[in-house]
Amino acid sequence: MEQSATIVSLKEITKIYGQHRALDRVSFDLFPGEVHCLVGENGAGKSTLIKVLSGAVTPEGGEIFLSGKAVRSLNPRQAIEMGISTVYQDAELVDSLSVSDNVFLGDERTGKIPLMVNSKGQLDQVRQIVDTLHMNLPVGVLVEELSASQKQMLQIAKTLYRDAKVLIMDEPTSSLGMEETRVLMDLVRTLRSRGMGIIYISHYLEEIFEIGDRVTILKDGGYMGTYPVSQIPVETVIKKMVGRDASMFFSRQPVEMGQTQFEVRKLARGGMVEETSFSVRRGEVLGIGGLVGSGRSELVNLVFGAEKKDSGEIFLGGKRVHVRSPKDAIRAGIALVTEDRKKLAMLGGRDIVENTSLVHNENFKGPWIDAREEQVLTAKIVKELSVAVQDRLQKIEELSGGNQQKVIIGRWLLDDSLVYIFDEPTKGVDIGAKEQIYNLIVALAQKGKSIIMVSSDMPELLSMSDRIGVMRNGRLTTILDNDGISEEELIRHFIGVPNAGGEQG
Amino acid sequence: MTEHNRKNKNGAALLARGKRSIFRSQWFYLLCAEVVIAIITGIVNPRFFTTSNLMNILEQIAVLGIVSSGMTMLIISGEIDISVGANIGFSSCVMAMMMRGGVAPIFAVLVGISLAVFNSFLVGLTSRVFKAPSFITSLAFISVFEGIALAITKGSFQTIYGMFETIGTSRLFQLIPLSFLISIGAYLLVHVLLSNTKMGRRVYAVGSNPTAAFLSGISVNWTKLGAFLFNGALVGVAAMVLLSRIGAAQPSTGSGIELRAIGAVVIGGTPLSGGKGRILGTLFGVLLMGLISNSLNMLRVNPYFQTVTFGVLIIASLAVSVLSTYRKRARVKAVSEGSVEQ
Repeated sequence: MEQSATIVSLKEITKIYGQHRALDRVSFDLFPGEVHCLVGENGAGKSTLIKVLSGAVTPEGGEIFLSGKAVRSLNPRQAIEMGISTVYQDAELVDSLSVSDNVFLGDERTGKIPLMVNSKGQLDQVRQIVDTLHMNLPVGVLVEELSASQKQMLQIAKTLYRDAKVLIMDEPTSSLGMEETRVLMDLVRTLRSRGMGIIYISHYLEEIFEIGDRVTILKDGGYMGTYPVSQIPVETVIKKMVGRDASMFFSRQPVEMGQTQFEVRKLARGGMVEETSFSVRRGEVLGIGGLVGSGRSELVNLVFGAEKKDSGEIFLGGKRVHVRSPKDAIRAGIALVTEDRKKLAMLGGRDIVENTSLVHNENFKGPWIDAREEQVLTAKIVKELSVAVQDRLQKIEELSGGNQQKVIIGRWLLDDSLVYIFDEPTKGVDIGAKEQIYNLIVALAQKGKSIIMVSSDMPELLSMSDRIGVMRNGRLTTILDNDGISEEELIRHFIGVPNAGGEQG
Repeated sequence: MTEHNRKNKNGAALLARGKRSIFRSQWFYLLCAEVVIAIITGIVNPRFFTTSNLMNILEQIAVLGIVSSGMTMLIISGEIDISVGANIGFSSCVMAMMMRGGVAPIFAVLVGISLAVFNSFLVGLTSRVFKAPSFITSLAFISVFEGIALAITKGSFQTIYGMFETIGTSRLFQLIPLSFLISIGAYLLVHVLLSNTKMGRRVYAVGSNPTAAFLSGISVNWTKLGAFLFNGALVGVAAMVLLSRIGAAQPSTGSGIELRAIGAVVIGGTPLSGGKGRILGTLFGVLLMGLISNSLNMLRVNPYFQTVTFGVLIIASLAVSVLSTYRKRARVKAVSEGSVEQ
């Protein structure tokens, strides 16, 4: 192998978190003047690979070469000295300082008077960088006045000033519009022609085929190969991204569906969710899929009243309900099992009884707590969902992830709701508990509840949903009937190339 | 892990009651410390164990106890009010001035308590509206309350000798100070509120995880404001008791009590981060503070060192609670690792 020419080369890198192999013998290299793309589903290991490259995590196995020289481990300092820098969405900028001050942050130029910053000199230098790259970036204004794309430009300008050799761009276009994306693409081409090595991560395959030289594909932490972009068809990339074991699918019982029970009309909130309408029948499971950041959680938060909607109507059983807050939603019969139970659901430091009866006590009881009732109800949930607990005084954080999730779900089962929304119901939950949660969701559907299930887990979406709504850039682009959709088709919809390749794919 | 379900009389399944060793409760350590201090002081100075001295202690800690009860609830809800001292000064001055002006004491007291409630509400409201920590808004209101009190009293002492003594000085059966009984009432009230009402559950919920509380239908703002209102009412009662005991008020009446109250709450095992804590701990925390200052007097320790002791006490209680969390963490870790291995 030609290690001498590469800027960075990773060989058979393995990174283990607990039981989970985040990276399993993954190789990756980067030459000067190339755009090397990294693709894979959510959780495929792209972020971990970036962390290895920037020295943030130390891999358990494999070798790292910098400019052909083997290094035992890479720490963040070495990474920076080597000129590896990452452009993040929003981080690392000081909003209250000007563009040029941000470029020189921590490395300010002094002028004739000692200890005084030479603002004019800094301004001129930054203007020079900005001009040579034809960036649309005013250098004198405060960062807080910049748009999302200008902030990205600024980060790039900053890395150029620091003489970076490797630029890592993690989902750089996810918050950009079409025109801004085009400008960014031009900039990437300019940087490439100046000999910089660029690692480009994106969910949007069309961008990769537009700008990439080579592409490395990851799947579930495994290395699926590196290919020249010009020689690999989109279909093959998609296939390599999603191909997986059939055993990961759960086979659920079909449920007889009834009338439309829940309907959302033209729900919208500026900047988050564009006008969205959908309906769910009794006993139906509507899956909501899409890439991270596509607005899935935002949509269900709007439905639940956790975010204020700008417009739109919600109907339950044919009657319009006014949902201005979670309280309104709960009273109307909508339940939301949130994603990220630790941040959004668990009462840390409180016991199981209090955590289980939280919603019941708050919304369906008078001012006094009925200690006996809440204990009976908790015991019932513990039994029904087979939660492994020791006693009623046990704090919720002392339970395992799966058991915590069962307690949180149980919170919403004490009082009959009509609509159950699950946001990532099995995230961070072991296989056994996962299947129990699936059975529980099916049981709810059998009772005639309408289920909305947001998930990043493709097998979960495909095996649980009756229909799958696809979110993309804050828009519910389509709702697919789940009769034999393949994972590849689904991911095509997620990334917005539904027809590329057509039937042959 | 196994389930220990058992049937009760009516046949409904209940979870195992669960025993928590009292060695994990902060109040137990406080009680031990109190017994040790009492015994040592009693040996050195037998006058300590006289009824009159013990009753004096109870009388001395009454006002602190009332303020600390309200503070406990506020801290559990994730808020704090360091203007309670200034609030006491302000509202007791208003009560005293009204009484001097010939207003019936009962009416003056009602106005004074309402004022205290309003003041505390204002601290909470500004904090919620401006999304600023209540530490900051209450810090600002210290000056506001003190300033207004100075302005209306023109800085002078408002004496009401003989007009309003019953509450602060009378004793039940010629023995138990009425003010102490009032403070017990405050503890009980807060206890019932925290353990047996929806309001109490809300307070714990918003202190533990405001987002989770909101997503469960709880109004975080109103819950916190409720805690402020309640805190204000107890501050008003404390001002009344203090005024009655001293027989006079001035703007600086009550100053410094905020730190002792927060100290008593923290010593009692309620963390400033909120979401946890019990009134029982606060009760023993207040008792410890009263006991220590009394016994230092009995032992003829230089009064300046008494202040030092108070600081050391808070540090020591932090050490105890940190140690017990460490032990708990080790246990949780062992449990969760065990479950991964299965």
